Amino acid sequence: MLELRFFEIYRDADFMWRLAEGVWLSVSLTVTAAVAGFLVAMGLAVVRNARVPVLAQFSTCYVEFIRNTPLIVQLFFVAFGLPLLLGYSWPFWGHALLGLALNFSAYFAEILRSGLLAIPKGQIEAAEALGLRRHVRFIKIVAPQVIASVYPSLTSQFIFLFLTTGVISEIGVEDLTHAGVFIDSRTFRSFEVFITLTLLYVAIALTFKACLLAVDRYFFAWKVRQ
Amino acid sequence: MSDLLVMLFGKPMGIMLFQLLSATQYTIYLSAIAFAGGGLIGGLVTLARISGLKHLRRFASGYIWCFQSVPLLMLLFLSGLGVPRLLGQDVDPWISAMASLTIYASAYLAEVWRGAIQSIPSGQWEAGRALGMRFFAILRAIILPQALRVALAPTVGFSVQIIKGTSLAYIIGFQDLMNIGRRWANAPVDGTEPFIVFPLMALIYFALCFPLSRLALYLEHRLGTIGKTPQATTA
Repeated sequence: MLELRFFEIYRDADFMWRLAEGVWLSVSLTVTAAVAGFLVAMGLAVVRNARVPVLAQFSTCYVEFIRNTPLIVQLFFVAFGLPLLLGYSWPFWGHALLGLALNFSAYFAEILRSGLLAIPKGQIEAAEALGLRRHVRFIKIVAPQVIASVYPSLTSQFIFLFLTTGVISEIGVEDLTHAGVFIDSRTFRSFEVFITLTLLYVAIALTFKACLLAVDRYFFAWKVRQ
Repeated sequence: MSDLLVMLFGKPMGIMLFQLLSATQYTIYLSAIAFAGGGLIGGLVTLARISGLKHLRRFASGYIWCFQSVPLLMLLFLSGLGVPRLLGQDVDPWISAMASLTIYASAYLAEVWRGAIQSIPSGQWEAGRALGMRFFAILRAIILPQALRVALAPTVGFSVQIIKGTSLAYIIGFQDLMNIGRRWANAPVDGTEPFIVFPLMALIYFALCFPLSRLALYLEHRLGTIGKTPQATTA
């Protein structure tokens, strides 16, 4: 009874192909969503930090709402609710991308906000004393330091979020989890299939970690490390 | 309750609200069980992690690393589909959901608590030993009271992750808020379109999670552990 038959997965070229495509889609969607989410998060953190009326309150509510509701509910709303409400139709991956980007942006915004708060006042005063304009001050002085200081938190948050992206298979995206569920439905070797999937997820997460660490070393080499 | 909601909101809406709210209780039960079970196993793993035995420490590190790296979704699939098929025996969704969420919670809680205990200066241990106290006596009388202060806020904060995590249990057929809500969203009934049901569900989840998030924030400020807390990253 207790028999592991991993070969049923890897001897089938179609299954392997699906897994490979799943890995590619999972990785590319997550990375794209993270980049988009980061840009949105930057905006959210800045308006909240600068106390822009209305926008700051909106940013607070948005971040709290996203952080206190499950990703799957957000995804279902974005994939099934919004299109019906506004009358548009996108491919599945479009919904997934929008849902993930919205989700990521809230978590990143929270991290960036704490980074913005931690910037030493002297840095901004020095920039003012040099007569730098507001946007130059932000781009040249504030942003690089904030991003460098919160980069490790952003990295681990990103990895954590990546591990939750399997739920996009539930809205029809043919990601890694979707490939696994498909193979499972053909072979009924659930245990082997999901062990394989788990190993793939962990391997991708470790690869992400290594890449992001290399980026940290390369771009933020000037940073003082403890 | 059902009649009152129907009276207030009309036929499909009232019934739907009643069903959603009564399904929420299973979300709460599952979260509570996962938190308690995760706390228990997490506590044992923490003990193993700080114990004097090298192999035990290694095992605990491995456990924490392993289950922090495995996606919750995969734990659910493995316990809800994988293990039953492997054993050739049906497993109740309750058992599978409880097992996966407990394991998930235990790894995170163990990591948070390990960080809290190790944030206490080693001089405290040495002082205890100098007084002739044993491991558990030092732990109970000296270390834990101090570590509790550090660990409280992130522990409360993690309960939010557990509640959000339970929303995935519908994948293995667990009947909770998520499951019932999805069924309503798919039902061809006027007034329960996806753009009404899902925001409602989000509001219910929000009502469960937000007070806990606030409590965690309050504790961080109140106990003065803000920024000092060894946070396990959570989404």
